[in-house]
Amino acid sequence: MTSVFSQSDTLTILTHTPAAEVKTLAEAILPVLGDVRVLINRTGLVMLPYTDSAEGAIFHLGEVLVSEAHIELATGIQGYALCTGRDLVQALAIAVLDAALTANIQTEKITAFLQDQQQAQAAADDLLLRKVEATRVEMETF
Amino acid sequence: MYVAAKGGEDAIQQAEKLYQHLNGTLTPELVRSIEMNMPYLVDRVMGEGSLYAPELAALALAQTGGDLYEAVLLLRAYRSTQPRIAYAAPVKPAEMLTVRRISASFKDIPGGQILGPTLDYSHRILRLDVLDNPQENNHHSHSENNEAIKIADKPASPNYPAVADWQRGQGLMAQLPEQTPVDAADIPDVTADPVLFPAPREHRLQALSRADTGGVLALGYASMRGYGLIHPTVNELRLAHAEVQVKHPVTGATFSAGRVRVSQAEVVTSGGENGKTGLTVGFAATLGWNEVKLIAASTLDMEMNQPSPHPAHTEEFVMYHTEAVEASGFCIHFKLPHYVTFASSVDNIRKVIATFYSSEEKSNGADKPTEIQSETATSEAMPS
Repeated sequence: MTSVFSQSDTLTILTHTPAAEVKTLAEAILPVLGDVRVLINRTGLVMLPYTDSAEGAIFHLGEVLVSEAHIELATGIQGYALCTGRDLVQALAIAVLDAALTANIQTEKITAFLQDQQQAQAAADDLLLRKVEATRVEMETF
Repeated sequence: MYVAAKGGEDAIQQAEKLYQHLNGTLTPELVRSIEMNMPYLVDRVMGEGSLYAPELAALALAQTGGDLYEAVLLLRAYRSTQPRIAYAAPVKPAEMLTVRRISASFKDIPGGQILGPTLDYSHRILRLDVLDNPQENNHHSHSENNEAIKIADKPASPNYPAVADWQRGQGLMAQLPEQTPVDAADIPDVTADPVLFPAPREHRLQALSRADTGGVLALGYASMRGYGLIHPTVNELRLAHAEVQVKHPVTGATFSAGRVRVSQAEVVTSGGENGKTGLTVGFAATLGWNEVKLIAASTLDMEMNQPSPHPAHTEEFVMYHTEAVEASGFCIHFKLPHYVTFASSVDNIRKVIATFYSSEEKSNGADKPTEIQSETATSEAMPS
């Protein structure tokens, strides 16, 4: 089967998933991937530009610490990940899952995981926004 | 001129040990506690450190005993060891997951006013009961606190349009120039470019983003109190989570590498720019949530655009004097040994005293400043 998630959605869900859960899944899938060559696994910075709402300029707000992983399977298929923080193993785990999906390996299992995580993340956002909604205020002038 | 400190190696080592001893034990638990329970402090260090890394900002605070400038320095120093891997897609405020968005200029803004997490309308009173009745307060876990929070029937919208755009639609504010795609690597960057004046707007806003909160507040407050030319009104204040959108290097797919806390403020004043009618707007944003810094910074942004601002509100003055690491570093360097420089000054003083204030001259009444200055000027003007 092929994943119902696009690569953009897949990676976004995985980078927002608790690191421990991604690592556990990757550990389970790693044995069936065969040899994995690590091309890149490092920490680094991503500069974050921001849009000025006063004059429309785009400027650098500051940098974000990230971990990056780029791997290659024996078949030549590559996996990639970039996630906030300095957890190199988390980045490797996401790259493993990216490669697995591209190689159509354990797709069903990974897709189920993605669906669960997507729901959990949506629920967390929904709960946060309900708490935020409770702070809505109607200002009055006298 | 400086001199090397000789023979003090043991004293220096002991001084560092004493510093660490008096600050308490540095543990992973302490770092986690700071990260979880002091988010605004962590945000401030990240904003001024210009690096979003909550865990490392908490570590920096723990390691320095809470000395903010030392913590910012540590974060900046760490940043300098890391390669820049990529540029994210520009954050658009209207697309952020917004948890607080208010306006003091208009009460009925599109999307409404969302107070979000704030103490704006709360009493600021020390919770002495936490100390006096620890048994009663020990059971207040995070989950129990969450139960006390009201959960609305429907979620708030995650996104809100800019208040300024609404005002532009009413002709109250100048229209934005047409946006053209920008390669992020080409955006002027104060960490890589020489800073020249007048600075490009990109430099100004980046400098304000990483500026020292206290420095920005002092200059902004001076403007608000009356040294400035304008009266700011907060047009929009926003706290949000922004996605760090990057590209997969193989397939080109865009994805979010994670969320970061960001905040932004706009202030407006009536009168328009350079005599034009309408509203003039100032803007600032930063990593983390830091409202007071942004209100002051956006006021300074507007002030710096005035034709003839107070000297302390010129672009050069503001940008140079609110750089946290340079300012604190220059200030504290004065406590390091300056013995040679100072000895040179003292030597000169002693020579002057010996030359002009000797006991013989004093007895002759030769201590008249006019005569001394005249003599000195004459001798210096004489060709050798």
